[in-house]
Amino acid sequence: MASGSNDLWNAEVRSGDAPPVEKSGWRSGLAGLRWNGGTAARAKRILLGQNINDGVLFKIALYIVLLSIAVMYIQPVLYMLATSFKSMSDLLDQSVTYIPRQFDLQGYDDAWIGLDYLKALWQTTYMSLSAAILQVLSCGLTGYAFARLRIPFKNVLFFIVLLTFLIPPQVLVIPLYVTYAKLNWTKTALPFIIPAIFAAGLKASLFIIIYRQFFATLPKELEESAKIDGAGPFRTFVKVMLPLARPAILIVFLFSIVWHWNDYFEPSVYLQASQANDFVPLALRLDRMQEALNLHKSLATGQNVHLIFDMNEPLKMAGAILIIGPMLFLYMFAQRYFVQGIERSGIVE
Amino acid sequence: MNERSDIGTAFGTGAPGAGTASAGMTGSGAAMAAGPVPAAGLSGTAVDAAAPRQSLTEREHRSRRRRLNAAESLRGLLFLLPWLCGVAFFLAYPLIYSIYVSFQKIGVKPDGSGLSYTYVGWSNFRDAFILDNEFPVEMLQFVYRSVLTVPVSVIFALLVALMLNQRFPGRMVFRTIFFLPVIFATGEVIQELNAQGQGTIPFLQQYNVTDLLYSTFSPSVAKAITGILDQFVIVLWYSGIQILIFLAAFQTIAKSTYEAAQIDGATPWESFWKITFPAIVPFIVLNLIYTVVDLATYPFNPVLKLITLNMEDVDTGYGYASALGWIYFIILLIPIAVLVIWSRRQTREKR
Repeated sequence: MASGSNDLWNAEVRSGDAPPVEKSGWRSGLAGLRWNGGTAARAKRILLGQNINDGVLFKIALYIVLLSIAVMYIQPVLYMLATSFKSMSDLLDQSVTYIPRQFDLQGYDDAWIGLDYLKALWQTTYMSLSAAILQVLSCGLTGYAFARLRIPFKNVLFFIVLLTFLIPPQVLVIPLYVTYAKLNWTKTALPFIIPAIFAAGLKASLFIIIYRQFFATLPKELEESAKIDGAGPFRTFVKVMLPLARPAILIVFLFSIVWHWNDYFEPSVYLQASQANDFVPLALRLDRMQEALNLHKSLATGQNVHLIFDMNEPLKMAGAILIIGPMLFLYMFAQRYFVQGIERSGIVE
Repeated sequence: MNERSDIGTAFGTGAPGAGTASAGMTGSGAAMAAGPVPAAGLSGTAVDAAAPRQSLTEREHRSRRRRLNAAESLRGLLFLLPWLCGVAFFLAYPLIYSIYVSFQKIGVKPDGSGLSYTYVGWSNFRDAFILDNEFPVEMLQFVYRSVLTVPVSVIFALLVALMLNQRFPGRMVFRTIFFLPVIFATGEVIQELNAQGQGTIPFLQQYNVTDLLYSTFSPSVAKAITGILDQFVIVLWYSGIQILIFLAAFQTIAKSTYEAAQIDGATPWESFWKITFPAIVPFIVLNLIYTVVDLATYPFNPVLKLITLNMEDVDTGYGYASALGWIYFIILLIPIAVLVIWSRRQTREKR
């Protein structure tokens, strides 16, 4: 009996790529079920499955672990959302954790003014979109050249690409700031858009690597037939290769938008002198909300003295929600491409 | 017959490899066009016409090939031109400038017309370790924390990816959640959440873990560990990309490998260590490097904050800040170089 059930065990529990942590769990669960021949076998099959990773017990354990991690992930977001709707009395009330007694929109009202929202939204959209489109094109060109064309010292040059990825921006921003200041770019979006033309700028080296890996997976015959048909290399790239690179384009475009949108360090250095009326992206405006609101309050009350606007938590969180809102909205529609993009773009080869 | 042999040599001289197949083809076309000309010029006996012609075309082929290669290289460089300009303006120039500046003391000219440079040699670098009482401490803390954080987030990413790789209803929902932080992890927003203690795990305060840590470890180690635990959720937030890379890595392993192992009676535990793990070792290295870089360029890491502060400080200024930036970069390069060399050796052994 003992050896028989052992054989059964071996037959039933087949390999899969289950996480190792599960092992002790199902072994003890199995021990309790071995008392009764037929029923036990059926119960075991339902609970443990044909393979270890399709049994009910395994699934339940999986859901529990994943759910608890997911809660940990989402909790700060919920906190942000909840706090943004709280009134002052709810904020101080210890008994109110997530659902406020009344939904108070004061925070959003103030944040809207403090961020100069519509204007900042337009500025940020315009900056991230143009930088993303330019990076899609310039990094695509560069990545293609690295993947397919004959280039002298290709390995050395590609090493430079990798190096760019590793250099902390802090080493580079000072001289760039000095240059941009001389060019009078420090109140505009140009420090973010111009580098994108030259396949430089925010995480451009990563995008070049993505493109290179992607183009390397496409069959060589494509270019050869285009060549036989009389297309020059540039035409081959634009008409044949680029349309095929849709997954790579999509992932670069989405990441570029999101990273430009969220970028904080570079704008905080380059745009340190720019005023509320100049170009200031949303990420930076959260930092400057206090000043903007002080000014607004002084103007509204008609007093010359500088009034200090009370920066409370709901206001800050509402500001944060307003800033990340558009990106969350984008993610809602494009999450499939974000999540699958890395697999499809062939980074991993 | 003669023409056919020409085509043969054209193909023969074309070395196998990237792009040469098409180069050989164009070469053969050119040889075909050139073929009849020397034959007409020699016009002697048909018997020995073939020999000199062949040697001629071969030489021609070589020079033509060289010319073609040069033209191709030129074309390749043309494609790279925007990037090369970008490297010159946005990488090489600032890098050289910042090396230069790190050996200077920079101040504002007395009349306020611009910056004044004074050469100070290595003193900026020396001061960073001797005079500065913040930088070495912060740097050491950063190293401590990285040593703990990097493996934690990579192992966490691996475990989550293993779980997400299972087939079960709702896996896309979980994927979406785990990737969410990449979308909105703005520096400012994270800073704000951190300030309000939202980065920490709820049970930490409940069980007084901090006191426990300080009583068991030396203060500096305990400080590093509590520093991580306080921001644990944020640390986990930064593993979205790593999870995706691991998930993609699993796709490279053929299903049949697992089936074969299953038939041979391997347990899931064995097949993880014998099949999955060896296949994803390169991706573990990739993720380790990615995490190190991510952590190092994370705008709110204390070292970078210190560098930014020194940039604005009138006493220390750009020169000193640049020197700090370089020290930081070089310290950062050490683990990355080790990882790269190690992974290279690994892949070479496999071949």
